[in-house]
Amino acid sequence: MAYDLVIRGGRVVDGSGLPSYVADVGVKDGKVVEVGKLKDGAAKSIDASGLAVSPGFIDHHTHLDAQMLWDPYGTCEPQHGVTSVVMGNCGLSLAPVRQGIEDAIVKSFVRVEAIPRIALEQGVKWNWHSYGEYLDNFEGKVGINVGGLVGHIAVRHHAMGEEAVERKATGTEVQKMKGLVLDAMEGGALGMSTNRNDRHMREDGKPVSSRLADDDEFFALCDVLGERNAGVIETILGRNKVEHFEWYHALAKRTQRPILWQSLQHRWAEPNLWREQLEAVEPIFKAGYQAYGLTHTVPLVRHFTLKDCQIFDEFPTWKNLMFLPVEVRKQAFADADTRRKLQAEIDNLRLTNFHKRWDIPKVEKCFKSENQKYVGKTIAEMAAMRNQAPIDAFLDLALDENLETIFWNANNGGDWNAMGEILRSPYVLIGTSDAGAHVLFGADFGYGTILLGLWVRERQVMSLEQAIHKLTFHPASIFGLQGRGLLRPGYAADITIFDPKTVNAEEPVWANDFPANSKRMVQQAIGMHYTIVNGTVINDRGRMTGDLPGHVMRGPLYCQHKAAA
Amino acid sequence: MGVSYIPVARVGELSPGVMKEVDLGGRQVLLAFVEGHYFAFSRQCPHEEADLKEAGQFLGGGQIRCNNHSYCFDLKSGECSLPKGGAPLTVLPIEERGEEVCIRLEW
Repeated sequence: MAYDLVIRGGRVVDGSGLPSYVADVGVKDGKVVEVGKLKDGAAKSIDASGLAVSPGFIDHHTHLDAQMLWDPYGTCEPQHGVTSVVMGNCGLSLAPVRQGIEDAIVKSFVRVEAIPRIALEQGVKWNWHSYGEYLDNFEGKVGINVGGLVGHIAVRHHAMGEEAVERKATGTEVQKMKGLVLDAMEGGALGMSTNRNDRHMREDGKPVSSRLADDDEFFALCDVLGERNAGVIETILGRNKVEHFEWYHALAKRTQRPILWQSLQHRWAEPNLWREQLEAVEPIFKAGYQAYGLTHTVPLVRHFTLKDCQIFDEFPTWKNLMFLPVEVRKQAFADADTRRKLQAEIDNLRLTNFHKRWDIPKVEKCFKSENQKYVGKTIAEMAAMRNQAPIDAFLDLALDENLETIFWNANNGGDWNAMGEILRSPYVLIGTSDAGAHVLFGADFGYGTILLGLWVRERQVMSLEQAIHKLTFHPASIFGLQGRGLLRPGYAADITIFDPKTVNAEEPVWANDFPANSKRMVQQAIGMHYTIVNGTVINDRGRMTGDLPGHVMRGPLYCQHKAAA
Repeated sequence: MGVSYIPVARVGELSPGVMKEVDLGGRQVLLAFVEGHYFAFSRQCPHEEADLKEAGQFLGGGQIRCNNHSYCFDLKSGECSLPKGGAPLTVLPIEERGEEVCIRLEW
């Protein structure tokens, strides 16, 4: 047979950003071997007519370090077309480790990434010391490709023990850490990550160890990457400040490695912050360095009623009303003087999470037939229909339905124009799925399917070709994933086949599939037909095949080190 | 506009450090007697929605810690004291009126 697999008649969106075209894709020995009009002679074929055929998505910002040890698919990554994941972000990795520091690492994962302790205790066996040995665990045992960054937190604990959360490192300890970073890079790490977010603590309330590092220490560790011309440097510094960009610039200039920083998002409460961030990062690129801001595609949506919502708790009168008995609250909502007071609190210039805009919240569900005409309208639009002030329309509608009316709101990610500029920016790397983390509070496996469904198809902020590039070859290039991210001969046959007319993500739901049957949130996809990893189908129209064709994606220093050895 | 006093306990009813669940207008509130003062606050931690009835632990100086992620809050103001700048805990004003402990809601 000329091919192991041929995908016939799909629209090939090849990851380069170039216009898509209809073609067959031939796969042999795990690689794409031919793209075009192919003759017969395949062991297996897939009819992709009417569907898009693209490189598999690369989820570069995950915390699947533990989950991949018990779940070879990193469920629900491949359900959303993801074929490769990068672990070890935000300073957190499960290696290097030595006896006695395992719990320090667990304490950090449990609190910063909100992974249940019982899942980590039962699912992580600690049968490794070095980063390379940790990666060895995945050889031949995973359904998707895995790679990872070495986390500063584990490196610091390894060198300093528990004192890593108490003090600065000595010169000797910094040298020891440099050795650990080099060993991790030679073992296959794709780079290094750190965490300086002052909200990130361990389970015991102590700061995560990387927060104790000064610039001398961190820059010295990054020199390991710079001197060897390998790897990315991923950072989380906490709330964005202008001086952070000077820091990114200095780090990028010193190491000449790609810097990744968190994060860049649209927030209605600070509607111009994203633009200021893009303006601040541009000089770094103009100077010839790379400092990509990470961004997300999922608007932070809340559904609420005036029966029990919390979104107005930051306004004192609103808050008090929301704790009143419902009948008293309804009387207060009907009172004109109270309404003026409520509006005055919203009009106050104090910075709040709530955006204070009536043209953003929408009427999502009404219960009376005469109110159905308001469904889907913003409060401002509904007020105009009723010839009322927005606050009067909002409260009158809710009162008319005994406060049962369901409203929709998004404080973040709701400005189409801003999101379009952010998502299209060449200085932005899309994807902060955090897959494997915060498992009790959400599931954003669908950042890619939401990009394609919400931002490409519905809101048309970029073309399908641009979006696929952002999900595939763009991260592959930044992370140095050789031979992945394009649908071209010679590249790995990591392939996603989906329906661009329907692709999207479902709302997250609960599952009990973590160790000890502990629960977490999962998210299914819509319109995702096949996910293929290294030429083998692992997701066949929603059914996982059980095959484990994933590779360990090791960085360039591993190959050099192995060749030298 | 008005003010409402909602009785939630009798004076002396709560032992120090014990949390009493109260339903106020459909929302869950916890009432506690700590260091000689009554405090009322939302049952839900503002960080990642942990149940403070289970995860809350009183510290000295009128602070409560959510043991789920070690976030600490001032019981009087609701301010997040650790980490600084975190989302505040929703707190409600308390008044003792005769033999009753009341939550005072003004609008």
